[in-house]
Amino acid sequence: MILLSQLLLNALVNAAIFSLLAVGFGLIYRSMRFFYIAYGAVYVIASYAVVAAMQISGFPLYLSIGAGVFLGVLAGVLMDRTVYLPLERSGATPGVLLIASLGLYILAVNAVALIFGNEVKILSRGIEPSFSLGPLVITRMQVIQFLVGWILVTGFWLIIRKNTLMKGIWAMGETPNLVTALGLPCGLMRLLVFALSSVFAGVASLVTALDVGIDPHVGMHALLIGAVAVIVGGVDVYWGWIGGASLLALLQGMAVWQFSSRWNDLITFGILIITLLFRPQGLFSPRKRREER
Amino acid sequence: MNYVLHLLIMIGIYLILSYGLNLVVGFGGLLSLCHAVFYGIGAYTGTLLMIKAGLPFLPAIFLGMVITGLFALIVGLPALRFRGDSFVLVTLGFQMIVFTILYNWIDLTRGPYGIPGIPRPVIAGVEVTELYQYFILVSLFLVVIVAILFVVCRSPFGLALKALRDDEMAAEGLGKSPVHLFLYAFVISGMVASLAGGLYATYVTYIDPTSFTLDESIFLLAILLVGGTGNMIGPLVGTVFMILLPEALRFLGLPDTVAPNVRQMIYGLTLITLMFLRPQGIAGEFKLR
Amino acid sequence: MKGLKIKKLSKAMNGLKIVEQVTANFLPGRITALIGPNGAGKTTLFHLITSELKVDKGEIVYGDETITNLPPYLVARKGVGRLFQDIRVFGNMTAFENVATACYGPCFETPWFPFFNLKRMKSINNDIRERAFHWLNFVDLAEKKDHPAASLSYGQQKLLAIARLLAGGFSLLLLDEPTAGLNPVMIKNVLRLLEKIITEDRSKTVILVEHNMGVVNEVADWVYFMNEGRIAFFGRTDHVLGDKEVREIYLGL
Repeated sequence: MILLSQLLLNALVNAAIFSLLAVGFGLIYRSMRFFYIAYGAVYVIASYAVVAAMQISGFPLYLSIGAGVFLGVLAGVLMDRTVYLPLERSGATPGVLLIASLGLYILAVNAVALIFGNEVKILSRGIEPSFSLGPLVITRMQVIQFLVGWILVTGFWLIIRKNTLMKGIWAMGETPNLVTALGLPCGLMRLLVFALSSVFAGVASLVTALDVGIDPHVGMHALLIGAVAVIVGGVDVYWGWIGGASLLALLQGMAVWQFSSRWNDLITFGILIITLLFRPQGLFSPRKRREER
Repeated sequence: MNYVLHLLIMIGIYLILSYGLNLVVGFGGLLSLCHAVFYGIGAYTGTLLMIKAGLPFLPAIFLGMVITGLFALIVGLPALRFRGDSFVLVTLGFQMIVFTILYNWIDLTRGPYGIPGIPRPVIAGVEVTELYQYFILVSLFLVVIVAILFVVCRSPFGLALKALRDDEMAAEGLGKSPVHLFLYAFVISGMVASLAGGLYATYVTYIDPTSFTLDESIFLLAILLVGGTGNMIGPLVGTVFMILLPEALRFLGLPDTVAPNVRQMIYGLTLITLMFLRPQGIAGEFKLR
Repeated sequence: MKGLKIKKLSKAMNGLKIVEQVTANFLPGRITALIGPNGAGKTTLFHLITSELKVDKGEIVYGDETITNLPPYLVARKGVGRLFQDIRVFGNMTAFENVATACYGPCFETPWFPFFNLKRMKSINNDIRERAFHWLNFVDLAEKKDHPAASLSYGQQKLLAIARLLAGGFSLLLLDEPTAGLNPVMIKNVLRLLEKIITEDRSKTVILVEHNMGVVNEVADWVYFMNEGRIAFFGRTDHVLGDKEVREIYLGL
């Protein structure tokens, strides 16, 4: 029982991180309707910016974190301006965008690896202080991950509900023409979507990297967690993304309990395939998908 | 000389892989991200049939192809219900799942330890050990496969597949069954990859799951995207370019520590550039949807 | 001689009734026009016949077989062919390939077919080539045979789609606005083709969705007038087009 409770507690923390990843990915997938593979690159760049700031330039931790998120945002927006936007303007098909995005990911991640090396970089040294909750143990870093994740995700939901611009972003995915028709600033919204998505990727990356370190090739994993969470939960429902993320975290926790963490990918992608087959609109989406064609 | 032969053998194996994948990507218009799975299953079944069941090379390879074909059928049935992003995701999902199984089913695959000491092929009593012999063997298989695929692609089947790729709704309106035609293409492509896997395993005599990762699937897809799809020249151009690029970098004197990253960066940059300038690839005739 | 019978067909999408209790009968050897204002459900009716959309209620019978909600490719194999409003030629294939692929039946289209019919392949290919050229000539596109379909002009693509449809040997032709976007000369050509089709083979059933009343008047024998998802009127062309109410609702006269 104690083991199970401990795993559930860990799953709750992981759910916070997965939710961040899901919101960052979902923002773009929902509003732009394309599969943003380079999201994984933003994730990697943010943490390596912290590595550069802290270990090479000797910045203090808090300044480094700011630099990390900022550079992540810069990378995300730059990738949009240099690749996606021009491609979309020239009428590129989803397949072309997907491959360009894949190319961007490969390019960026290997550029990072070229500069910093392929091995894992540890960001925080020493043993994390931990707290006891009865028989359960939680580290300080886990508390931070839990709080940062859930506060950001909930806060963002409140903003989406109140702010007109954010509502516009939400409406964008459904009826792209509506946005221009309502006279909302399209360019600004696009900028905002990419920037916000990068913030979520960056924060998720940093709270993970500060805990277990970072290597250049985890970006793909982060992207896939985010993407699977969004698709499993349901693209059209914000809390569906969170639900998908939590479900993944929970099932991975259960997998650790029953088998071992080595089988995590089997769980993640098994859920993905089963969901797509039997409930393509997502587990938490009430509405059936509109009829195609 | 040995170095050139080695390169030619690797090009031969990758040509078999890319021509097989071309049927799905180029003629079917479906971006599959699990080709390395079939490559891997081919390598593992071929190897295990030789080592554990004691089968000779040719029967092991052919039985491996049949098993992989069945597996492709199992993957294809659910995957081919999807198009676009969802198809990419489902194939990617199978890629991750099978890799996890290859990596963790220690009893069967020895997981990360890999399987060493794979016997060399013996054909008609001759053990293929020398590089030049191997080159001949791979070339023979390549010629046969390319000839078969050439006929398949030029057949009414190939034409119908292209019609489905260009406009599925219109092709269906002419009575072309997407379910059957795509499934045939998927299974054939898996079987061809399986053959390449068997050749690869007996050539390097050691396999472990890291040769059959998602990155490998992406690499195989990239070969086609760079070279171009939908005809018989594109995969050739792509394979030669993608296999020889790292060798060219080696001649430029890049240290081994950075060479893999530089190589990957060039692949990435090539993909982006192509999407801007020539979405159908260098020698391809069909643009991605 | 097969006719198409539609019985009490209904379809709702996103809560809107697009097609409501439509009953209609289309006879072979006849060109029937389906007219009505935009959004009347004409194209949706075509989608329902070819199973591109699922039927909610009702039945579609072609000849003596029910084809309701069969997969689209099976509907096509029963002899139902369709010209799409947005043409849909196979853009990366040549004009010749576009027509040739329509000539092959499903039994030719297995990957192993050529290997088991090595000797027959040559004569099959020659036969198909002949038939494809016949239809290309039929629409005057023979000299464009090696051009990718996407490089043809709009009108030529439309002709190519018609040739492809005819090459498919369908007995029921659903033509969705075959003359839209064409210049008057092209329209004349298409009309001439339509009449050629129906006079050459009296067993064919032709259904036409058309906005150009001149065209309807010229080729159609029978007209169904659809409004708000229902059949509002039907009858001989001159009757329907001459009806006062039809002229008011639709033609604004």
